[in-house]
Parts: sequence; structure tokens; C-alpha cells
Amino acid sequence: MSIINYAKREISFKIVYYGAGVVGKTANLQYIHQWLPDANRGNLISLATGDERTLFFDFLPVSVVSVRNFTAKFQLYTVPGQVCYNMTRKLVLRGVDGVVFVADSQWDRLHDNVESFRNLQENLKEYDYDLDETPYVIQYNKRDLPNVAPVAYLDFLLNRRVRRVPSFEAIAVGGKGVFDALNTVSRMVLVGGFAREEEEANP
Amino acid sequence: MRTHEIAIHEETARRIGSVLTHFLAESAASDALLIDRSGQLLAQGDSSRALDTVSLSALAAGAFSSTAAMARLLGEPEFTMLFHQGVKENIHVSAVDEQAILLATFDSRTTVGMVRLFAAEAGAAISAILTESRRRSSSAGGLDTPFHADDAKLMFRERSR
Repeated sequence: MSIINYAKREISFKIVYYGAGVVGKTANLQYIHQWLPDANRGNLISLATGDERTLFFDFLPVSVVSVRNFTAKFQLYTVPGQVCYNMTRKLVLRGVDGVVFVADSQWDRLHDNVESFRNLQENLKEYDYDLDETPYVIQYNKRDLPNVAPVAYLDFLLNRRVRRVPSFEAIAVGGKGVFDALNTVSRMVLVGGFAREEEEANP
Repeated sequence: MRTHEIAIHEETARRIGSVLTHFLAESAASDALLIDRSGQLLAQGDSSRALDTVSLSALAAGAFSSTAAMARLLGEPEFTMLFHQGVKENIHVSAVDEQAILLATFDSRTTVGMVRLFAAEAGAAISAILTESRRRSSSAGGLDTPFHADDAKLMFRERSR
């Protein structure tokens, strides 16, 4: 739910990193937190289990000063990926403005990605949101591993809706594709549509 | 895409600010945060200390929505308040309306009963202001001209290594 505050000249948005378990959603936020200048970021909060799997969500507020005299603020969340945590995933999606769908590129995780993508659509529907009207990008993570599917095949599985969305190859722990996905989805929610961004997909 | 669902104009901010100031004075609570249920801070009362209000807002909204989900499992529509007791500091969170919650921090200078009483009053007043503000926003909300791609060419940049 975007909030525009004229009194403070701020506009804020909520972006959720969604995807199956252990695909690298938290790694995205950790990299952003590590490499954004201090002035653009707040504290990274992780509600994780003892073995560092996300229990509820990770949260990182980031901001860009002065987009037409407004400070644009983005609140980045991750969801817990494990199937059993669907209720908490749903809670995190409340008021979402944009989504980064993080997919694991490895062959043996393809089914989990497809399942999670379907789950995203179902959970959005519970809030009367429609994925086709929600700005989102797809990130194909773990491209450095040996057993990965070609991007064309991942696109065939996950990015063949009426509107094809920008997608990025990524190695989240090393930062590849992390800022590309963040910047693109931020622009999409700020501008409020897909049209101008479509041409940037898969350059 | 959904348009801006909440627009807080100067007048709304001023009125909410005055309710929060009154609430702090009456209840003797230390801080008051009005939080959207999606986790975003909408307004805060004057406070003498620096708190990480952005993180508090996200966590309070998460906790509140989580207890609401528990309530539904028991057949309740929602638990309308949350109270966390610490050694020195306490947190009271209460429902304002379907979109917002009110968080108050307080210490031994007051009691949970006082905070609860005045939070209910403040919540009702804020709910009325928000309802009016939403009605106005839906007819004349948002920016005069929407953001364009040129406004947002440069967003986040990694700092140099």
C-alpha cells in the first residue's frame, strides 16, 4: 500500500522478496544492506530460526532522497519460503506494492519455484490483489552453481504470462543481479506500471 | 496498478499529531506511533528520545497481524490489543481501524490501564480523521502529475568497494 505523506514530503512503498525455501531471498537483503550507503538504509532485522531460516520475515528499510522533492522510501521484506509457513507468508504480503520473485536456478528446485509462484498468486488473491496488476520482477538466482537450468527454460516455466516481466540472472551472495532487481522493481512501483519497463526486460 | 491508497495531507497530519500529543499528555506514555497495518509508520507523537520507529512499526504490524491470525484460529475476529511487559519499558498496541494500529511505549510513570483507556479514545478520534481523509483522497488523492520514468532513472547505487 503506497503511502504519500505531503506533510513530510515522503512517499513509501512495500516490496516483498518472495520465493521457495533457501532460494536466496535473505541473501538479497543482506547484500543490499551491506552495500548501500549508510544514508540510504536503515537496520536489517531478521526474524529467523536457530538455523538461520527465516521464521517470519526479514525487513530492511531503504530510501532515495529527492524524487521530485519527495523522499522515496521502500520497505523491503522477505517471506519464509518453507511450505509450512504459508500463513506468515500471507501476512507479510499485506499492502504489498511490488514483488521480487526469487527463483533457484538449479534443476532439482524447478518444481519448488513453480509451486511458490502459484502460491504467490493464491496469496495475493486473498487480499484481492492480482499478480497481473502488481509490479514484479523475477530473479534467477544461484547462476554460479553447476546444475542450473538455462534461463530460457526458467522463463518458460515462470515468465510466460500475458505480460512478460523483467528477469535477471543473479548470484545473490556475491551481489550479481541484486541491485538490478531492486532498482527495476522500485522504478516499476514508483512509476506505477509495466509498460515502460517491459523493453528493459532481458536486455 | 492500485493507486495511492493513503494520502496524508498537511491538515490530516496536523490533526492526527494533535490527537497523539493529547494522548501522550493524558496517558503519560512515552511514545505514540500510528502505524499502517502493512507495517509503515503513518505518524508519531512528539517524543524526547530517538527510537528506530521504522523497525518498530514493521515489527509491531507483524506481531499484531500474527495475533489477529491466532484470533481467527479461535473463532475471534481479532484481538484488539497487545501488551508486552518489560522490566522498565512496556509496549501497548491497539487496533484503530481496519487499516491502522496505535503503538504506545510507557514506563512506571503510568499503568497499562491508563494507556489502554486513553489509547481507545485516541484510536476513535484518529479513526474518524482517517476515514474522512480517505474519502477526500479517493476523490482528489495522489499527486497532481504521476511519477514518470525520468523521475526514477537513478535509484539505488552500490557504494564503491
